[in-house]
Amino acid sequence: MVNALNPLGIRWLPGPDGRVGIPRAYESRLPETTVDEAFRIYQSGEGLFVDSRDAEDFEKDHIPGAINIPQRRWAEVWPEWQSQLPRERLLLLYCYGGHCGLSTRQAKRLLPEGYEDFLIIDHGWDGWTKAGHPAERHPQGKAD
Amino acid sequence: MRSAARAIWQFLNHRIVLRVIGLGIGGMFIYAGYDKIIHPDRFADIANDYQMLPLVFINAFGLAMPWMELTAGVALVLGFWRRAAGLVFAALTLAFIVAVAQAQIRGLDIVCGCFDVSGMSGGASWQHFALDIGLLLACILVWRRA
Repeated sequence: MVNALNPLGIRWLPGPDGRVGIPRAYESRLPETTVDEAFRIYQSGEGLFVDSRDAEDFEKDHIPGAINIPQRRWAEVWPEWQSQLPRERLLLLYCYGGHCGLSTRQAKRLLPEGYEDFLIIDHGWDGWTKAGHPAERHPQGKAD
Repeated sequence: MRSAARAIWQFLNHRIVLRVIGLGIGGMFIYAGYDKIIHPDRFADIANDYQMLPLVFINAFGLAMPWMELTAGVALVLGFWRRAAGLVFAALTLAFIVAVAQAQIRGLDIVCGCFDVSGMSGGASWQHFALDIGLLLACILVWRRA
């Protein structure tokens, strides 16, 4: 009953796409895209890539031009990003791989903040690098 | 030494002391359950991070477990079904101990989700493991003696 009335209520079983922890109200509002489609958007320069991984992993390597909003430190970092993250631009969220979930969680946090135009890259950083797409690497962990 | 242990045991078994311990445990679990009921999606995410349950059970666990905490917590605070509530909490705490220990052993860098699901409660750690051991002993005391 409470779950049925709760705007953040979830299904008892995973959704049709197999994802868990997705509020029913958000199910159609957390779209995923493939690594190749994300690369097409990257080439067109239309989107802003948002890396949800931990800062130390972002510093080692990431998609060129991406910004880092570490989801595990959301409560700490979001107040800084709140006024800087553009609402009018397509955001492409990614984390470690296909099942890391951090980018989906970040999308769940962005929705109530008024961000509607985003895509979650289905296989994340792992899929991006396996496909051989461009990466900015700093093996010593020194981002510029 | 033996007399000191006996005195502590008698103290812990005093009716009022048991009631205070029950109130403390009950209140703590009410607090812990409430945030999870409000944010079942976040609790399901955290439960998933522990990598213990098959994916198909994650949402159901995320929905059911907080209600167990809340119901047993209310029972303990109001003073009915106290032994049953103590047993439920002992079982839940034992499950938490196993969950935290396996996460630590496997090196999983995850938030605890013990008392809130906003990510503010910090990572699961051996400190949580030690606290849970103490909590388990208190729950067993309530279960066996209340």
